[in-house]
Amino acid sequence: MKFRAVIGSFVPPLHRGVGRGLLGWGLLLGSAGAVRATTAEQEGWQDLAGYLFHDAHEVFTREPAEGDRLRALGAAASLLNDPPVTSGKVERAEAQLRQLVKDNGTDEPAIYARYLIARIAHLHRSAEVPEIEADYWAVITAAPKHPLAQLAAGKLALVLLYQRPDLSVAQRLSAAGELAPLAGNAQLPETACAYYRVLAEAAMYYDVLDERVLGWLQQADTMGSRDIMTAMSLRVQLAEVARALGHRDEAIAYYRQYLAVAGPTDNRYRTAKDRMMELEKAAR
Amino acid sequence: MKRPMLSTLLAIGLLGGAYLTSVGRLILRPGASVVDSHVEVISFAHWQIEPGVREAFNAIAADYMKLHPDVRVEQRDIPGRAWKQWLRTGLIGGTAPDLVELAAYENPDDMLARYFTPITSYLEQPNPYNASEPDLRHLSWRQSYTAELIPDELQSYFSLNLLEYYGAPLAMVSVRVFYNRQLFKDATGSDRPPRDFDEFVATCKALAKHAALTHQPVTPLAGSWFNVTKLTDGLFSTASQRVALQMDISHNLEMSTHEAMVNYVRGRWSLATPAIRAGLQTVEAFGRFLPPGWSQLNREDAMLQFLQGRAAMLVSGTWDAGGILEQAKFPVGAFKMPAFRPGDPKYGRDMLGPVSEAGTFAGVPFGLTRASRHPARALDFLQFLTSRRSNEKFSRISTWLPVIKGVPVPKGSESFEPVGDGYVNGINIRFLALRANEIVVQNLYLLSGNAASADAFIAKTRGQFDVIYPEELARLAHVNHETLRQKDSVLAGLFQLERTSGYAHAKFDRLAANQLTVEADRLQTLRVLADYPPPK
Repeated sequence: MKFRAVIGSFVPPLHRGVGRGLLGWGLLLGSAGAVRATTAEQEGWQDLAGYLFHDAHEVFTREPAEGDRLRALGAAASLLNDPPVTSGKVERAEAQLRQLVKDNGTDEPAIYARYLIARIAHLHRSAEVPEIEADYWAVITAAPKHPLAQLAAGKLALVLLYQRPDLSVAQRLSAAGELAPLAGNAQLPETACAYYRVLAEAAMYYDVLDERVLGWLQQADTMGSRDIMTAMSLRVQLAEVARALGHRDEAIAYYRQYLAVAGPTDNRYRTAKDRMMELEKAAR
Repeated sequence: MKRPMLSTLLAIGLLGGAYLTSVGRLILRPGASVVDSHVEVISFAHWQIEPGVREAFNAIAADYMKLHPDVRVEQRDIPGRAWKQWLRTGLIGGTAPDLVELAAYENPDDMLARYFTPITSYLEQPNPYNASEPDLRHLSWRQSYTAELIPDELQSYFSLNLLEYYGAPLAMVSVRVFYNRQLFKDATGSDRPPRDFDEFVATCKALAKHAALTHQPVTPLAGSWFNVTKLTDGLFSTASQRVALQMDISHNLEMSTHEAMVNYVRGRWSLATPAIRAGLQTVEAFGRFLPPGWSQLNREDAMLQFLQGRAAMLVSGTWDAGGILEQAKFPVGAFKMPAFRPGDPKYGRDMLGPVSEAGTFAGVPFGLTRASRHPARALDFLQFLTSRRSNEKFSRISTWLPVIKGVPVPKGSESFEPVGDGYVNGINIRFLALRANEIVVQNLYLLSGNAASADAFIAKTRGQFDVIYPEELARLAHVNHETLRQKDSVLAGLFQLERTSGYAHAKFDRLAANQLTVEADRLQTLRVLADYPPPK
């Protein structure tokens, strides 16, 4: 009895959430056959989320999609990484995704299909930069408020920062920074935080250390991250950049915030403390 | 005719003896798997065959079986050399034990996803075996750990790609210099360990002089490439702390491997940079006290030199402590390798201070296999194994450092405790690339002996580093390329699974953020390799 109870709680919360999702889908579709189909689909999404691409592809292709656009999306998304990954599979996946967009360009599977088409151009086919940019813009213009548009804007920023040698460094930073209303959307705060950090770090890679960098880091801080290591590093970055820009009081405040929450395994504690004390000494 | 008869009989006798011994061992070994059908049998496997560890596991398993008489816990200790093949076969064949020791380099993400069960949700609940501990009973299992299992790219209990915990660790190890107190006393009049690098070198000199005067074949340091690199790692890192901060592109006080190599390719540092040269020169200072031919020896040879009293010091991980303390016939001490003084005119110009060991992470994590026939029982045993009481027992018997809050460091292991107060790491040329380690190990001999010369080392290896660091950057970019592609499919799955619960801060959002960061590193790498083409 006890054993069974423990096994019951053995299912991670993710699976329980899926169970609730299944119930909702079952009620919505209103037939036992549809519920079974959805159950299989959920299994496929689970496999996909767990890096089990082959298993996911088998689930999504066990039966023909026959108008189930979500299942067709799952089949293409899993085929993309079904081992061994081949250019033939990637081509087939891209064709399936393009068909999804062609059949109905406005629904949810089409939005995701458009995003994966852009990713195929960027990561699988190594297409020319103008094509990659156009593909990301297609995702953004189709549904600008969608989470996928935010992801596409973040990737577009990376292209502008690192794959446009025809632009000056200042132009690269400006163009990538102008995507902030999209890429810095609070609907995905972790992604927005990463976007602002990536901007700041690209600037510093190009030896640009100015007020914009501090501003981007502050934006990242406003978005916040629940990842402890990211949150800690952001505190240190704010302190170090403020220090480099000569904002002594601001830097001291950021060092203090970091030291107040620094974890016991953080090697940087003493170094940060010394740097804060140097600034405090200079302030006296 | 007689001789063949005798040898045949002898052979038969030996075979018979071996057979009987095997049968006896099989019958008498603890945890034989032929048991009543109502008994739950769980097993756990690891490669820690160092003295004391198996005994510690056996003692805890015995405690558990006493508490749960219907359970049998079996320990399987597999030598490191056979581990990988043994584990893969077991996992694929569905015969792997319930609990398996994890290592990041042995268990890539696809392996974790396919064969192991995430334990994140359990780690966020209290460990029932800490219920009698007033200060732990309200904390989660994860929070019962001293460092609360904060994810880090180097540890193996958390997957940064899968964003799940897969293991619960139970011990911690550090690197220390073990020394023969008697030989120290004989040579220096005291068994006190050296307090700084100069004293360390002076001690080496005194030991060498004493050995020469007394005609004893004793060298100050036991040598093998493995042990010597344990010594050089800290010295290289300490000598270049300020340079590392200059190379810290992201200004987070932590120069990553990526940043170090990007800046190398941009020509912002090299082996001839004074701080890197100073690190190499530290080896010059003690290299002449290593035994002849040390670079051809392995760690077992070095251990033997020390245990036989032929070497006064041995640098090793505290995983060897149990074996050393058990087998040494002389009083043994241990100390943290002392750093040179900040501002030291030869080595300390780019030094901030001793390197902090705060980042020493919890090791020996055990993961729960999906093939487990008794997952609930196995998880229960894992909680028992990592409870405060069991961790105290494990630590005491094995001499390894504890990882659970409030567990005292065992008597005699005090000097193994990580010293958290210290500064950030500098540049260690050995750690930056897989082939960098080979180059350092192959050429370390140039830093030892009477003709030891950092400049000779630099002259011989600089061209090789100019080639391998860009190659390593390209290799990492290639690896990232693969994982970035995979994450696109994974994100598609998460997007559908989390559509009803919301995306903000959920796994979809966190993995998308992680992907953006990794992709930025990759594209930055491609940019630097395009802008600064490596030598052909």
